[in-house]
Amino acid sequence: MSTSLETVATRRLPGDLAMWLFILAELSVFALLILAFAVTQALKPQLFAASRQLLDTSTGLAMTLSLLSAGLLAALAQQRVRQARPGQAALLLLLALLVACGYLGLKLGEYRHLLSLGLGLEHNTFFTLYWILTGFHFLHVLLGMLILVWLAEGCRRRRYGPGNCSGFESGVLYWHMVDLVWVVLFPLVYLLG
Amino acid sequence: MLASRFLLGCWLALAVLSLATVGLAQGAVSSGAILLLAVLKAWLITDGFMELRHGPWRWRVLLLAWAGVLALVVGISLNLRG
Repeated sequence: MSTSLETVATRRLPGDLAMWLFILAELSVFALLILAFAVTQALKPQLFAASRQLLDTSTGLAMTLSLLSAGLLAALAQQRVRQARPGQAALLLLLALLVACGYLGLKLGEYRHLLSLGLGLEHNTFFTLYWILTGFHFLHVLLGMLILVWLAEGCRRRRYGPGNCSGFESGVLYWHMVDLVWVVLFPLVYLLG
Repeated sequence: MLASRFLLGCWLALAVLSLATVGLAQGAVSSGAILLLAVLKAWLITDGFMELRHGPWRWRVLLLAWAGVLALVVGISLNLRG
C-alpha cells in the first residue's frame, strides 16, 4: 500500500495542466510546419540542397548550444526554487537570459545576412518555409525570454518557494518546449540534404 | 546536488549529440541516423529537463511520441524522393 502511494506521489506532472495542454497545441502546430517542410523537400530535393548551402551549419550549432544551455540554467533555477533559494534561482535565470541572447544575436545576424543576399520570404520555396518555420520558432524564443524575465522577477520578490512552484515550473516548461522543437527543427532545416 | 548533477549530465549529452549530429551530416551519413540523434535529444529534454521521467506515463509517451513519430514521418518522406 505504501509503495503504491509513493508511486502515485512521485508520478507528478510538473507545472500546471493548462501549460501541458498549451504545449501539446504548440507542438501540433510545429509538427504541421515541420512536415510541410519535409514533404516539400521531398518534392524539390535539388532546390532544397542548393538553398541549404547558403545557411551556415556552425551558426546553427551555436544556436543549438545556446538554447540548450539556457534550458539547463532554467532547470537548475527550478531546483534552487525547490530548495528555497530564490536568490540563486533569479541569478541562474538571468544567466539563462544572457545565454539565450546569444541565440538571439546569432539568429538576427543570420536573418540580416540572408536579407542582404536577397534571400527573403519570396525568394524560393525553401526560404519561404525557412522564414515561416524559423521565424515562428524565433517568436517563441522571444516569448520564452519574457517568461524567464517574469520568473526572475518573481524569484526576486520571493513569490516562489518549495510549496509554491507550480507557476514557476510552467514557465520553465515553456522554455523546454522551445528547446524540444529546435532539436528537431535544426537538423531538418540546416543538415538533412 | 544529485539532481543538479543529473541535469548537467543531460546537458552534456545534449551538447555531444548536437556535435555528433553536425559531424554525421558532414560525413554524408543517412538521414535516418541524424533523425535518430534528434529523437535521442528530444528524449533527454522530455525526461531530463521536463522531468517526465517522474511524470504520468501517458504524458511521457505523448511527448516522446511527438518527436519519434515526427522523425519517422520526416525520414519516410525524405527517403520517398528517390
